[in-house]
Amino acid sequence: MKEEERALTSPNRHKEYIVTGRLVEMRARADAGESEKTGRAEENKGKRLSPPEILTIDEVACQPIEGIDAKKTLSAMADIGPQARLFVYLAEGQPMRHEIFEDPRVCLDIHRGAVIENRKEKPKDVSGWRTHDFSIDVKGCLGDECGRCAIVCPENAIHLMGKGKGSFHEIDPLACKGCFICWVECVRTAADCILVDGKTFDPGMRAKHFGE
Amino acid sequence: MARVLAGNGAAAWGFRLSRVQCYPYYPITPSTACSQQISRWVADGAMQAVTINAESEHSAASQIIAAGKNVRAGTATSSKGLLYMIEVLENAAGGAIPCGLFIGNRATGAPINIWADNSDAYAMRDSGLIQIFAADGQEALDNIIQGYRIAENLRVRLPFAVNLRGFTGTHAYEGVEIPSQQDVDRYLPPFVPLFSLFAPDKPVTYGAMLSAYPYRRHKRNQIAALSNASEIALQAGREFADTFGRAYGHYDWFGDKKAELVVALLGESASAGEVATHYLQGKEGIPGVALLKIRLFSPFPAKEIAQALQRAGTKALIVLDEGLQHGGVLPPLAQRIATAVHLHLGGKGPKVASVIGGLGGSEVRQEHFQLMFNLAANIAEGKPYRPEPYWLDIDEDPIFVEHESQVSPKLWKRWGEIWKKQQRKEKYCAPIPPDTEEIRIYSRAGQGAITSAVGYTGAGIENGYRLLTVPAFGSERRGAIITTDTLLNFHKERRVRSFMRAWDVVVLYDDTILYSPEHQVLDGLKEGGALVVNTSHMSVKKIREILNADERRVRIFTAPAAAVSEGLGLKHINMAMLGALHKVYDKVPFDKALGYYEKHVPRPREASLEAVRRGFAETTDQEIARAKKEGRLPVSQDFLDWRPEDHSQESWPSALEEVQLG
Repeated sequence: MKEEERALTSPNRHKEYIVTGRLVEMRARADAGESEKTGRAEENKGKRLSPPEILTIDEVACQPIEGIDAKKTLSAMADIGPQARLFVYLAEGQPMRHEIFEDPRVCLDIHRGAVIENRKEKPKDVSGWRTHDFSIDVKGCLGDECGRCAIVCPENAIHLMGKGKGSFHEIDPLACKGCFICWVECVRTAADCILVDGKTFDPGMRAKHFGE
Repeated sequence: MARVLAGNGAAAWGFRLSRVQCYPYYPITPSTACSQQISRWVADGAMQAVTINAESEHSAASQIIAAGKNVRAGTATSSKGLLYMIEVLENAAGGAIPCGLFIGNRATGAPINIWADNSDAYAMRDSGLIQIFAADGQEALDNIIQGYRIAENLRVRLPFAVNLRGFTGTHAYEGVEIPSQQDVDRYLPPFVPLFSLFAPDKPVTYGAMLSAYPYRRHKRNQIAALSNASEIALQAGREFADTFGRAYGHYDWFGDKKAELVVALLGESASAGEVATHYLQGKEGIPGVALLKIRLFSPFPAKEIAQALQRAGTKALIVLDEGLQHGGVLPPLAQRIATAVHLHLGGKGPKVASVIGGLGGSEVRQEHFQLMFNLAANIAEGKPYRPEPYWLDIDEDPIFVEHESQVSPKLWKRWGEIWKKQQRKEKYCAPIPPDTEEIRIYSRAGQGAITSAVGYTGAGIENGYRLLTVPAFGSERRGAIITTDTLLNFHKERRVRSFMRAWDVVVLYDDTILYSPEHQVLDGLKEGGALVVNTSHMSVKKIREILNADERRVRIFTAPAAAVSEGLGLKHINMAMLGALHKVYDKVPFDKALGYYEKHVPRPREASLEAVRRGFAETTDQEIARAKKEGRLPVSQDFLDWRPEDHSQESWPSALEEVQLG
């Protein structure tokens, strides 16, 4: 039986959360503006050295780079085979250095040096880990006057929304794994701020978790 | 043009020419001088880099790793310092962060020992670094430049370590060619960070945690990259030869092309081996001999070395390790070579025997190499040999035994059968006639003997001679008797770095050394050699009486160095003694040397130069009228207030720097 889908209200301009039962999915908002998607990188292009790139033969074939002889490069890469890579270091759009080399990796999905490129890495959905749903009651939250929950959250799942008087904190339902730390640490004694399964302070649950 | 540099100074030049941008360090004997020199350059503005005085080697290693993500980084360490770094260095290897280390190899305690062996390099062999062994200062410099080239290659991207034997390598002053910065820039392109920290356009995480599945795949990739370094090192060595004229490969083969008997080893000790090999080459009844000096230890070029041995038709191979096996079957180098021979040549390869020597600063001398070639000859004849390492230069457990009574019954019971069949052969072990000229200075620590010997070496090198000065370093305090040795090599084609211990000249900086029961100054002096003594009250006749030697045995000179220096207001007598040395030994002509001294003597320049001239003029082998024996010099307040740090002489290389910078 397919469970009912509902959208979670979120002030995030680009993403919205879809809740199905206990699982939460994130997807781009249909009405998100195109211009806002491109970040700082676009404005600064050409103003400074960009990090070097390592391209496969397919990538080189798809988008020729100005200043590099594509035909020569591709044939040199083809000689090496599928392990061939092109190293390009661009300065102000022009290749400052480029080099063809054979990638020593045999397991290509693993980066050399256990480096994880953060932009490519998708945030992991841990909503399935938790046994209770956590949310913050906007009415009880002190906003940027407090921020204690955002500091103590081990998953960085709590974000401050807005500024000044109307500000409040929000829990990212994808990142929250339900550890109760914010619930314990909240200066409003968790009574009327952090809601567990939509409910406020619950002595039974407290006894269960903290033996009180 | 070559100029005089110690091994540490040469390594510092390697880092400077490679344009190292970050140099965190924690000093440790014997590699301290490398870091000191770089700090001085950075302070003077001669080198554009950041130096960090780390609070420990662990931090220094962490800092090169952090820096190595963005810039070219390097450091120097030794011994326990390196062991303390190992914990972190594995992250550099696993993280594919190219950075460089210079290691002045030193023993690892306990017991504490500051002198050289390869224990520290062996301890780090499983940390995933590229390990290169240099044999002298020049190779250290060249290998650091090549090291960055290899390490930053996109097929490799790993940290590297250049090893140089402590003291006999790091503190040996010799002529080093310093390549021009333009040539090095052409050879070594600027550093490009692949995954830069602080790049907001492309944020990355270093040191993320990986579970078993990606971890094992990552490690497979890491080792694939390390084995690529073998091929890249060859290529880098070839291109280095094109630019700078000095060729580097995986190993150096010294001796006959067809060599039945081979001794293999790492690094600086090869200099004595070269002398022994040269002596044995072509002798009647001795098959081809060769010395295999291995440059690349990690990744070990197993196939190449096995093929080289096969090409040479080697029957017996002795591997000298300057470190221990610690429970392994063979020590690290022997084990690597034996495995390589077994895997690539099978039963057709040479027989491999292992020898442990050179531990904790023990010298591996010419006669030891002769013994090893003798052992190899016996093994090649099919004689049995120990399936575990032999020990070099241990009287209770020698390689050859003449008679059973020489060793303990227990040892005889164990190895007697082998010892009985192994014969020492005179044609291998005959003493090598000395063919270099050598000078020994006995002085008291603090008298400036090293400064003067290095000055002499510098003057010789500038005038086209090949000199080498090796000071002895120990645990002595100021005032203890120390030795400083200088070697002059007149062989055009042959590099000689190994002392024969046959002195042409012995210099005494202090006449009280004549009375020292520990120091027999005539020991090793060639027949008819010269002895020059700094004395203000002893006559030549008196010295002859003390030594009980006639004119044929030794020519005796006296130099009034203390009086000369005192008259000129100098705190050290070494400049006057430098002049005296020139007077008794004219192989480096004094008028040519003066040109060098005029530029480079320590401050105060005028007085020092005058002391050299007067030392030369006033040294004599004639009886001269002397003042009556003086009592102790009056002790002035000035003398009591004297602190070494106030009046230490600037060392010669830095004096050179100063001239360069104007």
